Amino acid sequence: MKVKEFTKKLFDRGKASGFDEMETYASGQDNFSVRIFKGEIDSYSVESPRGLGFRSLIDGKMGYSYTEKLDEESIEMLIKDARENAAVIDSDDKEEIYGGSDSYPEVTTFHPDLESVSAEDKIELAKAIEKEALALDERVQIVQSFVRSGRSNLNILNTRGVDLGFEGNGIGAGLQVVVRQGDETKASWKFNFETDLGKLDAGDLARKAVTEAASLLDGGSFASGRYPVVFRYDTAGDMLATFSSSFSAENVQKGMSLFAGKLGETVASDLVTVMDDPLLPGRQFTRPFDGEGVASRTKAVIENGVLQTYLHSLKTAAKDGVEPTGNASRGVASPIGVSPTNMYIAEGEYSYEDLVKKMDKGLVIISLAGTHSGADPISGDFSLGAEGYLVEGGEIVRPLAQFTIAGNFFDLMKRVIAVGNDLDFGMGRVGAPSLLVEELAVGSE
Amino acid sequence: MLNRALVRDVLDAALSTGGDFAEVFVEDRYNTQLQMVGGDLEKAVSGRDYGIGIRIFRKLNYVYAYTNLDTRDSLIEVAKTAAAALPGASQNIVINLSRIAVEDRHPIKVLPETITKQQKVDLMTRAHLAAKNYDEQISQVRVNYMDEDQKVLIANSEGLDVEDRRVRTRAMIQAIAAKGSEKQVGFYGPGAAMGFEFYDTIDIEEYSREAARTAITMINADLCPTGRMPVIIDNEFGGVIFHEACGHSLEATSVAKGSSVFSGKLGERIASDIVTAIDDGTIPNAWGSQNVDDEGRPMRHNVLIEKGVLKGYMIDGFNARRMEMEPTANSRRQSYRFAPTSRMTNTYIDGGQSTPEEIIANTEYGLYAKYMGGGSVQPATGDFNFAVREGYLIKDGKIDRPVRGATLIGNGAEILKRIDMVGNNLALGQGMCGSMSGNCPANVGQPMVRVSEILVGGQKGDQ
Repeated sequence: MKVKEFTKKLFDRGKASGFDEMETYASGQDNFSVRIFKGEIDSYSVESPRGLGFRSLIDGKMGYSYTEKLDEESIEMLIKDARENAAVIDSDDKEEIYGGSDSYPEVTTFHPDLESVSAEDKIELAKAIEKEALALDERVQIVQSFVRSGRSNLNILNTRGVDLGFEGNGIGAGLQVVVRQGDETKASWKFNFETDLGKLDAGDLARKAVTEAASLLDGGSFASGRYPVVFRYDTAGDMLATFSSSFSAENVQKGMSLFAGKLGETVASDLVTVMDDPLLPGRQFTRPFDGEGVASRTKAVIENGVLQTYLHSLKTAAKDGVEPTGNASRGVASPIGVSPTNMYIAEGEYSYEDLVKKMDKGLVIISLAGTHSGADPISGDFSLGAEGYLVEGGEIVRPLAQFTIAGNFFDLMKRVIAVGNDLDFGMGRVGAPSLLVEELAVGSE
Repeated sequence: MLNRALVRDVLDAALSTGGDFAEVFVEDRYNTQLQMVGGDLEKAVSGRDYGIGIRIFRKLNYVYAYTNLDTRDSLIEVAKTAAAALPGASQNIVINLSRIAVEDRHPIKVLPETITKQQKVDLMTRAHLAAKNYDEQISQVRVNYMDEDQKVLIANSEGLDVEDRRVRTRAMIQAIAAKGSEKQVGFYGPGAAMGFEFYDTIDIEEYSREAARTAITMINADLCPTGRMPVIIDNEFGGVIFHEACGHSLEATSVAKGSSVFSGKLGERIASDIVTAIDDGTIPNAWGSQNVDDEGRPMRHNVLIEKGVLKGYMIDGFNARRMEMEPTANSRRQSYRFAPTSRMTNTYIDGGQSTPEEIIANTEYGLYAKYMGGGSVQPATGDFNFAVREGYLIKDGKIDRPVRGATLIGNGAEILKRIDMVGNNLALGQGMCGSMSGNCPANVGQPMVRVSEILVGGQKGDQ
């Protein structure tokens, strides 16, 4: 059955069961990916996932269920499960099925040119990345390159008259490089997401990955202690991503964010502005409306160090008596939550090189390990593995063997003393420019 | 689950070009997820995953495709689209499916679907209360409950035709202690390849109190010092260190292409001679067990390391080709959305001779990691990091005071050689392991072990 036909049958069946308001959230994708190893296709995949989430207000509470099979049997299951799930919910917070925003922003999420790129072109790009990387340095042992592309559509249909949909697409490419010198191996990952094939530069990706992996060979130790550090854009982005759940009003209201009660207060250095921008052109999480059908809008979350707003769904906004921010997240199999869209730290004035120069003596951090285990998004405490370089006299002087960094994210945000102009998102939804931080505890030998 | 004549036709379509092997994986799964925050049931979702994955090999290349549509036209088209990526003349492989009956080693007594949502919520409420009432410094408690009932059909061009049903359940308790603006988290997440009868075999409230005790201990702990020191890692989930730092590097995914530090080292000494390590997917009703792997092979008990010597890898059917070795029934995937690859099941360091008391008494100074948090590893280098969830300093052979914020940093290959004491208290702990073929339930495990030296990262700076 098609989504609209299925939804109609489902709503009819729901009405007959005494359900009030109902909504379906249907998502479909067509994804392609290819991985190259030694000049040959190592893996190749074609995926077309489809799924449909259902929710309904039943006796004043929201019941959720979902299916990936649109048949008669599933209609009965969706109705039965939504009823059971609503019955056990005992939150007093009121969830609602939205009647729609007055207007929706025009955003470009679908790029027709991308659909004319053939599978062969994508395979060639992945092969070119591998070939370039292997040719750059004889210490390169292993390269695995990949290209992925995807086209997705999303539709929200409800009994309050909402009939929203949009289509998006994008392409990503990247590689992992392993270099070996004697007994020592170092690895580096590089990847990019774009909405234009022409912007994926095989040579540039390969060069960055190889140069970086090779630059880490022969890393030495240094005296543990407190040092100024530069978080390169990608590691600055990793840090913001790890702690971005603190901006969620849902976490604030549940006492799971240290930003609780801090609206209008200084929570970061005045050099730090954090944006959440679902309208940013060419990004992966750009969209005209959120998971509840609320119109997307751009907002500063932190402006010049001052906390401006939390990220809200309809439910959290109603609880705080504010307007929703268009940050409701939803998946076919997951209920409404709150999450950032395209979140980033706004650029400052320094180039990466100037940040290193300005630091004079300290460390540059170019990769982090353990952000999902060694960081507590609630307290802000982190203790992570890191790779990078030692800086003396404003110059990178040598690579460092894996070391540890430890501190508190909220403290770190206050200690930012310069912001770079090299904002980058990689393949994720959170981005940042490089940041110079006054001081951080670092452990080596 | 799917008409066998159709399955055979799909396999035929998949081999209509240059492929030499084709496989169909059909999955019909019913999931329930419940989340309780502060005693209120905030999220309840249930539903049905359904899809079909088609995989085709041609020598050392493979193609994977999946769809949710199980009509004949759709499946044949998907198979042909996938086959088009492996151009060549058909090898005219004749497919005769023969159904294999699998012995059920993991019988389920109480299917989750026979238990009402309210009974599941009642269990969560008990877990919540036990943690919340443990101490007034416990500020928040989160309880997550999940169960799943996965039915799979696996058929391939070699004639394999097997069905399996995997039922699992898990309860995860997170207790948060607060003091001023500081918060610390304790966690326990028991689970099994069992139905709701699992909760009759454990005392859920005991796990809640333990999670709360960890949070309370850590909120009142000093910051951990930084430096190289002996580290004692306790049993059960402490095995995550072996899982991350060594287990992943023994998976064919990284071994086959020579990118693992253990590639080409079979028969060589890679660990100290008191270390024996096992991967065993047959343990009855264990979290990482099933009857057959996701390529349809009966699960096995595989010795990875015996008395320090590398004895075997964990090998899936595809990587077995490159390695020219037999598969070990370690092929797993999160769902039909992932092509399967070599993965761990229940993986552990086997029990040794020392009592935990002896190990601590023999350690003059060091860190005792009672509970480990998560961690990650870079398979190419073996470099790892682990968070210590509950740690203590050891002084003069005695547990001294609790310390928080510790991370263990090191290298898998090096650490295996530095294990200098192995305890006799082997136990397994549950986790979700993420890798190329998605998130799979996996048990980690070990007895208490001592590592002579690990770099400990803490917030206190140099000691």
